Amino acid sequence: MMDVGRHPRIELMTFSEVESVTGYVGNFQVTVRKKARYVDASECTACAECSKVCPVAVPDEYQQGFSSRKAIYLPFPQAVPSAYILNMENCLGNNPIACGKCAEVCEKKCINYDDQDELVKIEVGVIITATGMQVYDPTEYDEYGYTRYENVITSMEFERLICAGGPTEGHFIRPSDRRAPQTIGFIQCVGSRSRDGRGNPYCSNICCMNTVKDTLLLCDHYPGIEAKVFYMDIRAFGKGFEDLYMRSKEEGVRYIRGIPGEVIENPDTRNLTLTVENTTTGRLEKHELEMIVLSQGVIPRQDGDSIRKLLTLSTTSDGFIMESHPKLKPVDAPTRGIYLAGCVESPKDVKDSVTQASAAAARASILLNAGKTKVEAITSQIDTDKCNYCGICAKVCPYNAILAPDRKAEKAPIIIQAACAGCGACAAECPQDAITMRHFTDEQMMAQIEAILEVEPHKHLLTFACNWCSYAGGDDAGTARLQYPTTCRLIRTMCSGRVDEKFVWHAFRLGAPIVLVSGCHFSDCHYISAVRWTQKRMDRMWNKLDKLGIRPERLRLEWISAAEGQKFAKVMREIEDAVKAVTTEEIEFTMKVLAEEEAKNKAKKEKRKAKAAAEVTA
Amino acid sequence: MANELTKPEELRIGVFVCECGLNIAGTIDCAAVSEYARTLDDVAVVVQNKYTCADPGQNEIKKAIREHNLNRVVVASCTPKIHEPTFRECVADAGLNPYLFEMVNIREQCSWVHQNEKEKATEKAKDLIRSGVARARVLEAQTEAVVPITKAALVVGGGIAGIQAALDLADGGHQVYLVEKEPTIGGIMAALDKTYPTMDCSI
Amino acid sequence: MAPRETRFKCLHCGHEYTGTYDPDNVTERTCPKCRSNSVRRLPDVKPTEKK
Repeated sequence: MMDVGRHPRIELMTFSEVESVTGYVGNFQVTVRKKARYVDASECTACAECSKVCPVAVPDEYQQGFSSRKAIYLPFPQAVPSAYILNMENCLGNNPIACGKCAEVCEKKCINYDDQDELVKIEVGVIITATGMQVYDPTEYDEYGYTRYENVITSMEFERLICAGGPTEGHFIRPSDRRAPQTIGFIQCVGSRSRDGRGNPYCSNICCMNTVKDTLLLCDHYPGIEAKVFYMDIRAFGKGFEDLYMRSKEEGVRYIRGIPGEVIENPDTRNLTLTVENTTTGRLEKHELEMIVLSQGVIPRQDGDSIRKLLTLSTTSDGFIMESHPKLKPVDAPTRGIYLAGCVESPKDVKDSVTQASAAAARASILLNAGKTKVEAITSQIDTDKCNYCGICAKVCPYNAILAPDRKAEKAPIIIQAACAGCGACAAECPQDAITMRHFTDEQMMAQIEAILEVEPHKHLLTFACNWCSYAGGDDAGTARLQYPTTCRLIRTMCSGRVDEKFVWHAFRLGAPIVLVSGCHFSDCHYISAVRWTQKRMDRMWNKLDKLGIRPERLRLEWISAAEGQKFAKVMREIEDAVKAVTTEEIEFTMKVLAEEEAKNKAKKEKRKAKAAAEVTA
Repeated sequence: MANELTKPEELRIGVFVCECGLNIAGTIDCAAVSEYARTLDDVAVVVQNKYTCADPGQNEIKKAIREHNLNRVVVASCTPKIHEPTFRECVADAGLNPYLFEMVNIREQCSWVHQNEKEKATEKAKDLIRSGVARARVLEAQTEAVVPITKAALVVGGGIAGIQAALDLADGGHQVYLVEKEPTIGGIMAALDKTYPTMDCSI
Repeated sequence: MAPRETRFKCLHCGHEYTGTYDPDNVTERTCPKCRSNSVRRLPDVKPTEKK
């Protein structure tokens, strides 16, 4: 930690948050909000005089509320930067007349009540996301009595109670009577591997070993202490882990296989009686303990949504950030130039976090050392001759990569190639077909649709899937070997926003019974908001189908994330009946109606063209 | 645009059908699929491989590009999410613009999900290859823009992972901005007493 | 345009329900009955008379 503070090439911005991110690989423009600290961190010597005179005492977050801190405080002795901070919400008032004691005693005069947030703009080539995790709050496991019984604590609280730098200076005592407990129980998997809707279904990875560690610390500090661990499985899979587990057993710690059903406190002794079915013996057991530690699981950061959206990252079904590939690119985010390190990707311990961080740094170094990189040539281009300056494209673009046209000056919009991310929503929305999406052109898309519907079109489910989510969801179904009917014929687009109305009409005209459009959930859209245009377009198409006398039910929409292989397979299974239900007559009628409609439109266009030509000659 | 260079040329498409060991061949009749691919217009050569992504498979592609003067390549194998970059590089090595390459997924979205319907899966594979070849016909060569990389990194989060990543990058000679929401770095790790498996101090 | 009450129809299971629609902030729709996303916003005119 100290190394970071003094490294000449690290600019540390604490009490700061990323406010906006624009740009693309190699060229990110980032705005960071440096929140007002009210103490000049570069001047502060951490002499502590200010906090001595501060009259406000509030629970100390770092000590899990076991002790108090002042409104002006140092988060913990080894904090980096080693500077005090004034919490304005705790302070008696942003008014020196109200108190102002700290400023009076500060020799360096580094306390400034008028400090303001500051916005700092930086330019970077790569971004490493290491926003971490959060521990699970066991309150909803009411049977363990965490909110009712003082002597039931969490594993994070345990850390502070056993720590020499903690509120008790390392004397491990139970909260109710400040006495060292002789018997202590640990309940594992609190909030993890849960199937009853509380907590999370996944294994939090670190809690087994954390408890093993805790028992060893106890045995070390308090020889003779009776520790019991209630578990479903002990997962001691890492290097040196099994050794620790065995050492803990040799120290006399009892491991009892069974997750307790209930904890009851004796109001006189404040001891706790825990009821558990020992699944090894099959017997119901009661254990009286002086203290219980809930081995709480790890959950994704609940405040992580804003940064996730800024970096256009998606989550897997457990809420942690999705990597580019679970095996081959575990530290790359799907967006180029962005990497993942630590618990933001999945629960992991210190060693794994460090390993992944070094890996992410190495991956990022590849780009930084190369100094340049190629970007995919999947961007949109405009045919200025076809453009009629309506400006829809500029409105559609989620990246503001299209400079709006000037209708009066007949100036066509300009597409900034470097800023275009390639979703293709503009190409799909352009009423004049003036925009070409490179590598996903109308011609290329139409060729695929035609080829698929060339043979037995009435039997197949034409599906459009976006590259980042639903296509990946289809891959996920494959990797999991989820079986579904063979009806589906899939066409990949970069974004569902690329699915032009005319693709759908063409498919129906060629005899498709059902067309399915699939894309990312709104919160996962790789192109910020392009998916919203898909939804709007679907409404338009459903209305048109209705008007033409074609059942809107034949055009389907599903949002499937990259982690939702289950949903992909389910959708494919459930849609099967709908495909079969479309009759030959219905298809023929559709083909006829749409062909007529196409002819009518063509005639209209010709007429308009002729009229325009006549006007020019006149 | 680049396509004008390629348009007057006669189309010569190479189709490479991958067995992926038994991952694809276990469900799909690859020989029948290859046979079918041969009947498609503009297909100059069809090669069936055990593992197209492996060196021998890639060499087959390069060889075929040279020998048959191919100007489009279609690989029917796994998901493009894994090997599209591999094959793009492979065709580029043989002198073909990487955007004249098309990938057809007959593994994740065919053989693996229709394991009990071999015949229908084979038919689906044929349809998908027909679609891939149709797309290949109208693919256009593209030039990728080269963009410079700003030689600085942003690390968001100052827990143990952020600290380590920032130090590694900075020690490697790069400018690093480390942004932390809290008043101090350290994250959750700083609140731990000792850490396993070495049982040493967290800070 | 302001958000308004509107009828939605699930094209997968046929379930119809009332919800709000904000043209300026289009949100994800999920059928409360079958979880499908094929949820059509029925046209504002005489929305309930559809079968």
